[in-house]
Amino acid sequence: MSRAARWVRRYGALIRNAWLVDLQYRASITLWLLWGVTEPAVALGIWWTIAGDGPVAGYARADFARYFFALMLVNQLTIAWDSWYLDSWIREGELNFRLARPLHPAHEAVAENIAYKARTAGMILVVWLLVALAWPAVRLPLQPGRWALTALAVLLAAAMRFFISFTTGLLAFWTTRATAIMDLHAGVSLFLSGRIAPLALLPPAVAGAAAWLWFPYMLAFPVEVLTGAAHGAALGHGFAGQVVWLGVWIAGYRLAWSRGIKRYGAVGG
Amino acid sequence: MASGITAERLSKTFRVKVRDPGLGGALRALVRPRYRDVHAVREVTFRIEPGEIVGFLGPNGAGKTTTLKMLTGLLHPTGGRVEVAGFVPWTGGPAFKRRIALVLGNRQQLVWDLPPEETFQLNRAIYDVPEADYRERLAELVALLQLSEVLEKPVRQLSLGERMKCELAAALLHRPPILFLDEPTLGLDVTAQEAIRGFLAAYRERHGATVLLTSHYMQDVTALASRVLIINRGRLLYDGGLDALVARIARTKRIELVLGDGATAEALAAFGELKSFRFPNAVLEVPREEAAATSARLLAALPVADLSIEDLPIEDVIRRAFTHGVEEDDA
Repeated sequence: MSRAARWVRRYGALIRNAWLVDLQYRASITLWLLWGVTEPAVALGIWWTIAGDGPVAGYARADFARYFFALMLVNQLTIAWDSWYLDSWIREGELNFRLARPLHPAHEAVAENIAYKARTAGMILVVWLLVALAWPAVRLPLQPGRWALTALAVLLAAAMRFFISFTTGLLAFWTTRATAIMDLHAGVSLFLSGRIAPLALLPPAVAGAAAWLWFPYMLAFPVEVLTGAAHGAALGHGFAGQVVWLGVWIAGYRLAWSRGIKRYGAVGG
Repeated sequence: MASGITAERLSKTFRVKVRDPGLGGALRALVRPRYRDVHAVREVTFRIEPGEIVGFLGPNGAGKTTTLKMLTGLLHPTGGRVEVAGFVPWTGGPAFKRRIALVLGNRQQLVWDLPPEETFQLNRAIYDVPEADYRERLAELVALLQLSEVLEKPVRQLSLGERMKCELAAALLHRPPILFLDEPTLGLDVTAQEAIRGFLAAYRERHGATVLLTSHYMQDVTALASRVLIINRGRLLYDGGLDALVARIARTKRIELVLGDGATAEALAAFGELKSFRFPNAVLEVPREEAAATSARLLAALPVADLSIEDLPIEDVIRRAFTHGVEEDDA
């Protein structure tokens, strides 16, 4: 069997197991999905009301609708829960058997991400298509170029959010507060990544600070590529930012892994 | 490729944060953290030959699991050298990991919500086991461990004993030449313990695997291993045969008696240390070399219905080794 075929079989087995486990937890999966939809829906409701008197920073009601529907999808395609998994693997000794296998634990995490994203984003896409049938405001033009660029931006954002989450989870090698750090990161990203409002609506000082960090490239940029708000030089700038920050977080991950694994106390006896 | 295990002056020191009790202690630890070095394993040296099965004994916190985790590459040692199957464990990578199995009695790799066969399939993919080999090995493991009834039940519905059997099956599908088993019978009832022991003996017989086994249950060790390593407070106290350990530590023998009418505890106490007396049964402990002569005197002096001379139970021997050290009775 070729090397590539072996990896396809490994990932196939990991993704299959993740889906089989999901089937055991249908209710909680539905609740997570609702949570993923509710936050952008609430934000959209607020901005819809505010934009009733006319566009806000260039965003009319229909722009907000498209932005938050795109956000809903992009968020589900890029979200990563790995810090919570890793924290529990490290603290409760579940990393032990994973380290004894001839497969880096990150592969299991990547497969979990693929399984989760395929399932949840698939459902959101169906919901979006149904809503778009009745509500023209959330329709997006079928431009293959734009969808291709969106796919690339989403892939880079998903990779970056994965490495952010995985690396933060690795902090559990040093501290029992790794998930608290991730919660803090999620709190900051609520504003700086565009989850609560398009970045154009942030106060200039905050938007200026965000531009120097990775947050806009996690979510706002791929959303703007999808809605068509990012074009020309902004596209080049956005992709460059994604590549740079992805590189930084991969370097951070490599450092945290190599240092942390040497420090690992291997809990459990 | 060799499947032996070598450890030379292997050491592991953990740096742990110390904290006084109460809120004040917590605050002080926050402002000025204090650390203490815990020497979990100190300069441990041993060699296990390919195909050997060795019991690794020690009380809680003695350093057994830490040693096992260094041998499997989970922990990086603070000092010393290790070679397992020709590899340095923490740099051996996937090639090394394919040659070992690690079974931890208190941690499981089975996916909790799915039937065990799903974990087996996952391991087949992870270890690149060809389909034909997988079928053949699974059939063998299912027969040896009597798993046919449980393969399709979710793991969460299995008994502890059934789960451990499935853990062993999952760990052995890639047929590793070296097995590290940490408390594989922990918490199991007597029947399940015996089933696991029977399986391990049969598996090792068939495949000639090298096995290092830690256990709290002496029966595991006496049933499977002829050689033991005893560790306490991080130091290796003994490395050798079980028989030799008994001869070295147990300088006494037990005389078990069934008495006739008229024998009293006071009369028995004159012959040795009376360990128990519940008429008509009594147990005396006497120096090893005097056991035969004392027995003859007992038979002559007291109404004895039955008499047998026994070695100390192995549990007592090991307990003495843990608490007093292996050299104690030689002194």
